[in-house]
Amino acid sequence: MLSLQHVSKYYQAGGNKNIVLNDISLEIDEGEFISIMGPSGSGKSTLLNVIGMLDEPSEGYHYFVGNAVHQLKEKQRSALYKQYIGFVFQAYHLIDELTVYENIETPLIYQDFKGAERKAMVADMLDRFQIVGKKDLFPAQLSGGQQQLVGIARALIAKPKLLLADEPTGNLNSKQGMEIMELFRKLNKEDGVTIIQVTHSEKNAEYGSRIINLLDGKVDSSRKF
Amino acid sequence: MIKNYLKIAWRNIVSNKVYSAINILGLAAGMAVALLIGLWVFNEFSYDKFLPNYKQLYRVDLNFTSQHDGEHTQQAVPIPLVEVLRKEVPGIKRVAETDWVGWQWHDLLVGDKKLYLGGGATHPDFLNIFQYPFVKGNARAALTETYSIVLTESTAKALFGNEDPINKYVRFDNKQNLKVTGVLKDIPKNATLQFSFLTPFSFKEQTESWMKDARTTWTNNSFNEFVELEPGVTSAQIAPKIKNIVYQKSPQLRVAKPEVILHPLADWHLYSDFKNGKEAGGFIDYVRMFSIIGMLVLIIACINFMNLSTARSEKRAREVGVRKAIGSQRKDLIFQFLTESILITFIAFLFSILFTQLALPFFNELISSSISIPYGNPLFWCMMICYVLITGLLAGSRPAFYLSSFNPVTVLKGAIQVGKAAALPRKILVVLQFSCSIALIISTIIVYQQIQYAKSRPTGYNADRLMMTDMSGDLETHYAALKNDLLASGMVESVASASSPITNVYSHMSLDKWPGKNPGDESVNIGAISVSDTYLKTLGMSLVEGHDFSSSWSADTNNVIVNEAVIKRIGFKNPINKIIDYSMGNKRRIIGVVKDALMESPFFPVQPAIFNHGRGGNNIMYRLAKNVNTQDAIQKITKIFNTYNPAYPYIYQFVDEEYNHKFNLEMLVGKLAGVFAGLAIFISCLGLFGLAAYVAEQRTKEIGIRKVLGASISQVWLLLSKDFILLVIISCVIASPIALYFLRNWLQKYDYRITIGPGVFVLSAIVAIVITLITISFQAIKAALMNPVKSLRSE
Repeated sequence: MLSLQHVSKYYQAGGNKNIVLNDISLEIDEGEFISIMGPSGSGKSTLLNVIGMLDEPSEGYHYFVGNAVHQLKEKQRSALYKQYIGFVFQAYHLIDELTVYENIETPLIYQDFKGAERKAMVADMLDRFQIVGKKDLFPAQLSGGQQQLVGIARALIAKPKLLLADEPTGNLNSKQGMEIMELFRKLNKEDGVTIIQVTHSEKNAEYGSRIINLLDGKVDSSRKF
Repeated sequence: MIKNYLKIAWRNIVSNKVYSAINILGLAAGMAVALLIGLWVFNEFSYDKFLPNYKQLYRVDLNFTSQHDGEHTQQAVPIPLVEVLRKEVPGIKRVAETDWVGWQWHDLLVGDKKLYLGGGATHPDFLNIFQYPFVKGNARAALTETYSIVLTESTAKALFGNEDPINKYVRFDNKQNLKVTGVLKDIPKNATLQFSFLTPFSFKEQTESWMKDARTTWTNNSFNEFVELEPGVTSAQIAPKIKNIVYQKSPQLRVAKPEVILHPLADWHLYSDFKNGKEAGGFIDYVRMFSIIGMLVLIIACINFMNLSTARSEKRAREVGVRKAIGSQRKDLIFQFLTESILITFIAFLFSILFTQLALPFFNELISSSISIPYGNPLFWCMMICYVLITGLLAGSRPAFYLSSFNPVTVLKGAIQVGKAAALPRKILVVLQFSCSIALIISTIIVYQQIQYAKSRPTGYNADRLMMTDMSGDLETHYAALKNDLLASGMVESVASASSPITNVYSHMSLDKWPGKNPGDESVNIGAISVSDTYLKTLGMSLVEGHDFSSSWSADTNNVIVNEAVIKRIGFKNPINKIIDYSMGNKRRIIGVVKDALMESPFFPVQPAIFNHGRGGNNIMYRLAKNVNTQDAIQKITKIFNTYNPAYPYIYQFVDEEYNHKFNLEMLVGKLAGVFAGLAIFISCLGLFGLAAYVAEQRTKEIGIRKVLGASISQVWLLLSKDFILLVIISCVIASPIALYFLRNWLQKYDYRITIGPGVFVLSAIVAIVITLITISFQAIKAALMNPVKSLRSE
């Protein structure tokens, strides 16, 4: 599905080159559920952002469903991104001024879905996540777990092929975290969504089909289950 | 999509009430100012354009050239010119000779109703040239009979009530009966020619003795003439044909090189100044100046919006990050933020309509106009929609482009303080804002200084308790008796008559010969005033040398008194008893030299003037006795005037009030500049208030730490204030030379003017700094008083 070849990312800080990603090469197939692990500062989030096209690598080649991402223009990249990728954040990042319903609806607006179609899709999603009763609440009125559920619902609304999650359970207690992980597993198995998550938790990592360990911007180890 | 944007915009407005209020209020004030000025400018440009054929209408002017004054342009032309234009110049459709329409005051009498009103005498074609709409009668027939009169609707109403005035008679100056042959709709306020009635020019010629030879005298430049050109004919085509008419026909005037020119009606109001015989601006300069000021105030308001939006961008940054992460493109975000700013602008616009509506009565009174918001005009609303869109785009462009440029990864990490990144452009905008405001403050002060300077100029006479009344109707015949009664009443201490009021000079003559004149010297244009023997005494003018007129005017037939300006102009030494020759060979002996009195513009040197002893005149001037009650005095004086002049209403003016009218234009400019300076500084401060709140909020933690380390409240206050004060000082430095440049140019117009000293700039700077300090201190002190434990705990 996607492939990174010799990808590096560094910042110029003072006279020093601050290397975040160091010559990473990676192949990911459709249907995989990957957990990226590693100590703080090892480049996990940066790697995820590069995969998700939110960040650009300093060097290397990046292919995504047959497209050479490193050669695409901003606009084309954005179109590709809209069509294939959903993002889930540790801090949920819901828009405070919008209700649950409107938050979930927003990606559809950017993809030019018609009003009636949007309504049906959001209703379906609310139903599936069992949050119909909360659709008119604002994020501040929800618990962390509920907010993250909305965040995931929003990420999935446009039926992405690839779901990227940056420590999705980081701000949740273990019970809430487990529920989210169960949800991920179900999405992966039943709907065939490719998932890449960054996590600190060994336990959560084991929900995946492959664990990639990063250290100092390099792939330290990779094991499949 | 728009619905979604509007929704989030609305929720943002509601959830940040103070910030939104500042934004909307500031923008509304700015928009109201721009709207008000826009309406005013529109009104100024609309002058005289209500006439259907205004593009083909012109006034005939004359250029004269003299060594001393250069080329000057006058509206006063001789009557014979009209016949030449009418008969000999193809392309001219109609010509009308008139006297000074609107400035001829006459008494209109119907039954017991007496009115003293300004009107004019015109050739019948005047009403065909200027197609004022008729309520009754028509342009073809009105004014064709010699003893007829045309009234405006309100004059007719005042004289005849609700009766039909047509074919009824008006007693004119208590001498003739004139038949009403037409009623015009009231002349709109945006017309240059303002009058209450018109009489036929032939009536003037038949009844006024001095008009006897006017129709054939080329040197009697006392009339106005108007022409209508044939459709399709331009003034450029006519100009060469008429230029030399007076030069050819009048050998006497040849020395002054007369040139006939046409001044288009469309330019009368805004381009009324002439320089070297050509149009050279006029009120248009002020219209332009205030248009610029209006735009500046609007820009200041827009800057507030930009500044507050970008300062608060930290709050919106996360939203930008999220939206980008869920598929928004930059253009979507730009569109979103512009939608938002247009929504806010629209709300501000509604407020600005309200503000304008509330301000209009005051504004109209201030500038004596009758401007209103044209609610029923669809074009107005189209323009207003554009106005909202343009203002919204102007105000929203910077936040939109700035906010949409955020990198989602960095803003979502919360790693950078986005608000700070925009600090420099924000500071530049604040400086721009304050530079405009300070320049306006400086301008206001200078304009008032100039007015004050000219006002405090010695006038050469004493205006205290001095009143004047036109010598109308029977007053001239009964003058001696009137004077006696006035003095006997004890209300008046002195009475005089003259051919011009002290605030004007009606007649000019030419001083042709004087002892010691070089052959090359040209004649001098001098004001000529015929006065009674009590004139100098009544007005409080003092003689420098020589003596006053005697009590017998026949003994003084050959005597004149001149003012100092004459002596200076012709370089006279020992003028007493010298014989001079003015006005076509009349030899006169100078018996006295009087101190210069300021009769014309207070901004220019006193012009040469000559006084002769004469009876009668156009004006009676009288000084109330000391310590009399003005109300009582006027009551008693009214009775006396009414006995001697029963057909005329008693109308009086106080000389000091009349004199103050000479400052009308400058006062108008001063008042407007003051109002706009006030608004500009208010809007700027509103923005500053918001910025100070933001900065205080952003530095809460820093302030907490500093207080824990022992900083006093005043130190914290200084810390928060000094940045803003620095910006204001920079603004002063930028504004001062710019204001200096423009004000110097403005002052060039006046011969009698102030020199701009450094004090004004220091004063303006102090005013600006004090206002700034007051504005930001509220926030700074609030922040300084905060309990540091609280602010640190929240981290």
